Amino acid sequence: MAGTGTAHLHTADEALLRLENLVVEFPVGRTGLKVNAVSGISLDVIPGETLGLVGESGCGKSTTGRAIMQLPRPTSGSIIFDGNELTKMSGDSMRKVRTNIQMIFQDPISSLNPRRKVRDIVMEPLMIWEVGTKAERAAKVDATLEEVGIDPKRAAESQPHQFSGGQCQRISIARALVLDPKMIICDEPVSALDVSVQAQVLNLLEDLKAKRNLTLIFIAHDLAVVKNISDRVAVMYLGKVCEVAKSDDLYARPTHPYTDLLLKSIPVPDPTVKVLATKILGEIPSPVLPPSGCRFRTRCPFATDICAKEEPQLRDIGGEHFIACHHPIEHLA
Amino acid sequence: MTLITDTTSMTPTPLDVPPAAEPLPKRSRSKIHVGFWIALAWVAALLLMAIFADQLSFIRLPTAAVKNHGRSTAGYKLGPGWNAWFGVDSTGRDVFSKVIYGARTTLKVGLWSTVIGLLVGTFMGLIAGYFKGTYDRVISIVVDIMLAVPPLVLAIIIVYRVGDLQQDRPGNPGILKWFTRTEQITVVLSLLAIAPLARIVRALTMSLAQRDFVLAARSVGAKNFRIITREILPNLIPAMMSVAFTGLALLISAEAALAFLGFSVETGTPTWGKMINASYRDMDKAWWATLFPSLVLFLTVLAFNVIGDRIARHYDIREAAL
Amino acid sequence: MSRNYPTRPETGVLLDVEDLATGFKTGRGLVRAVDGVSLKLDRGKALGIVGESGSGKTILSRSIMGLLPRRGVVRAGEVRFEGARIDQLTIKQMRQYWGKEMAMIFQDPMTSLNPLMKIGAQITEPLKTHLGMGRETASDTAEKLLVDVGIPEAHRRLNQYPHELSGGMRQRVMIAIAMACGPTMLFADEPTTALDVTVQAQILDLLEEQRRDRNMSLILVTHDLGVVAGHTDEIVVMYAGKIVEKAPTGVLFSQMRHPYTEALLASIPKIEQPSHTRLHAIAGRPPDLVNPPTGCRFAPRCQYAQDRCRQQEPPLTAGDHPEHAYACWFPVVTGGFDRPAATDATTDSNVAVTIGGLR
Repeated sequence: MAGTGTAHLHTADEALLRLENLVVEFPVGRTGLKVNAVSGISLDVIPGETLGLVGESGCGKSTTGRAIMQLPRPTSGSIIFDGNELTKMSGDSMRKVRTNIQMIFQDPISSLNPRRKVRDIVMEPLMIWEVGTKAERAAKVDATLEEVGIDPKRAAESQPHQFSGGQCQRISIARALVLDPKMIICDEPVSALDVSVQAQVLNLLEDLKAKRNLTLIFIAHDLAVVKNISDRVAVMYLGKVCEVAKSDDLYARPTHPYTDLLLKSIPVPDPTVKVLATKILGEIPSPVLPPSGCRFRTRCPFATDICAKEEPQLRDIGGEHFIACHHPIEHLA
Repeated sequence: MTLITDTTSMTPTPLDVPPAAEPLPKRSRSKIHVGFWIALAWVAALLLMAIFADQLSFIRLPTAAVKNHGRSTAGYKLGPGWNAWFGVDSTGRDVFSKVIYGARTTLKVGLWSTVIGLLVGTFMGLIAGYFKGTYDRVISIVVDIMLAVPPLVLAIIIVYRVGDLQQDRPGNPGILKWFTRTEQITVVLSLLAIAPLARIVRALTMSLAQRDFVLAARSVGAKNFRIITREILPNLIPAMMSVAFTGLALLISAEAALAFLGFSVETGTPTWGKMINASYRDMDKAWWATLFPSLVLFLTVLAFNVIGDRIARHYDIREAAL
Repeated sequence: MSRNYPTRPETGVLLDVEDLATGFKTGRGLVRAVDGVSLKLDRGKALGIVGESGSGKTILSRSIMGLLPRRGVVRAGEVRFEGARIDQLTIKQMRQYWGKEMAMIFQDPMTSLNPLMKIGAQITEPLKTHLGMGRETASDTAEKLLVDVGIPEAHRRLNQYPHELSGGMRQRVMIAIAMACGPTMLFADEPTTALDVTVQAQILDLLEEQRRDRNMSLILVTHDLGVVAGHTDEIVVMYAGKIVEKAPTGVLFSQMRHPYTEALLASIPKIEQPSHTRLHAIAGRPPDLVNPPTGCRFAPRCQYAQDRCRQQEPPLTAGDHPEHAYACWFPVVTGGFDRPAATDATTDSNVAVTIGGLR
């Protein structure tokens, strides 16, 4: 899989964010080897859309999210946000652009400074950019906290550890919203939460998106969660994109064998449904020495010789559905 | 339902206790050990006496000769008693008042060298841990070298050289000659504190810099200086406080050890190490002149250790609850 | 598995917990984390304990195993294991049980494995101390155990450190260590929460396979009804330290009666629902267990709650199936999520219920 190619991209002026051939590599100590975290992916997000990025840990989905923020800067490729090429931007202008793209992280506790008052944490972006007067800042912070369902009075006198995981995630969301960004990158925002709290946070994100006309990138390993919140989903595997489709279409017609595996691994809350035994498929290979050709071939039940030799390219299979595979799963029309 | 009663006063750290629905009352901090308060009281008493020694009528001047029934007490002629609580030394001076005035010097040297060590060590550790790369490599080499040399040997070499430099020899630039002896000892001892502190701060900074809240701060546009001062430094303070107190204890013993070996502050200014050095050969004649300064030294070092240890544990419990 | 494990009966009750209560003394008062829980587990069966964080599910499993600190913890009730009471035993006496009779695996395998010890040493240690194996035998057994839990290149892994393995592999190693002395009961506390969905499916299959091979009982503690659905025989749903519903797995999913169970299920995003389907979140949070609400503890968050719920605590009453019990004055009947009004228990019908929207 896991191909390269740009067939699935919208035209440049349609997209709010456009990644082209994004490559992110990290050196492995001083061994001269490198981790191929992201190996030439192209993606775009149109305004008001939620793009889901899904895949196992090590597939490069979080690295992609951080590369958009230029934290750290990608090795090569192009990232165009709102008409600006971010990879060529100076540090200072990048700082300004970042106020338009904000992030929410997986670990609600680690993402809040344990020694600061919650209200100060949410205030921080406004302090950095010296937005408005003191009173205006206070009003804005309180309004944002209320918007995400946190009592501003309590936030003023409490530190993060006095809140539950779900509330900490709401506080993170408030911090991301306070600068009125155009886009929010949500990096596994609900993976560390209980299902009941997960539903609250997902609903909150949906409400905020509608109210503020936000564009979201939603990164997660659970396809059911991603499908619920996303308009379009990109499935990633070992630094490559395997399949891009509208959420409902991806579930109706999973065409890449890896997407199919992900779908079948989701635990179904129904004892009469037996989850597919996934034993033979093993685990994701090391991104230091990824397999040649299609990177999924080592775990793919349909792999043949061509998969080792030739890397599949993303191609259109109709209905805005794109896949990179030599042996796609056939669906009856 | 009846519950078995189990009377213990320790607060456990429950594993799965839910957060209360309402704002919690001010977090009940774990009960601090009695030993901590005794240690704190000891240090406070010593500090107060040292600072106000000139005003306190029960403390003689360390230079005042003690008279016993009008006669000189030189040559340990007076043991511990009402007249001189800790007895007198070979020159007939009050051991108690010398201990108090010695505390002045010892604590001054110890505190200042800790403060200098903290400032420089924290700065080095923060730079190395936050910026990594070349900064880290250079600082780590310096720190490793400083740690590789046995501390007292290092101190002796430096003090010896410093002492040497101080004498106005022709052709000798005398880099530290405008410093007094006390200031020189302070600088030397602070050098001992820098390396361990820098190393601890570096390790803590590295782990903190990886936390998501640092990434979050960058993503809202914070600059490095702001991240270091607002996000990282506040999280270092508890650990640094604990290390500083333990370090203070170590530096006080190091100062005493140096003094005992003959490398100490100006003649005429008492320190505990100097007192022990001056009297230990006469232990069989006058145990008090050696025992009391040693005991005070021991208790002070212990007190600082207890304080440092308690602070560490106190904050560990809080960290665990996060 | 033809190792020298003592021969044990094949069936019958293995664990019998009666009216177990566990509380923590804190500055604010006694936190009643587990409040009067009774359950039975047969040999070779799997029990799921489901609830949100703060429901007391983790404390319950640790309390049964006697793993909680003795200081500041108050315990009441009875725990019988193989017919013998174990709730009053000292730590020294409990060591007879830990490892050999009951073992536990945790959510985060990285923090429960010793980072400075090689995998091999960590598996052979219990073999040597508990089963008195020699170095060679222990090492061979360790390799076999790693093969059993599906770790490739088992021999090479023995000389690796935990950080050299992936999260899924580490959890497999944890399972191998737990299996080392052939326990009769395994507690798995959120064993897959930190893992990817693909790996989660593998680990759950592995646990099931080990349970069948060894006729071992399994207690699977989780917040996700999806995890327990396919891998348990019976499910206990906990809320605020109490059991609110318990039933054989099939019965629970087909005849769910407690609004909390229903709400837990409704909050899971279902893959077959269209994208942007509004999720049914449970508003609010579990109550403070120092001062739990009077009446039904779920009432403040329950969409069907009525005055009676806020005054009287509902007892655990039997359902249509003999092994089904729930604690609710106005149990769910239709299983639909948008049922507007509560139905009184007295007008209860015997219609078998299906949960809407499920495959």
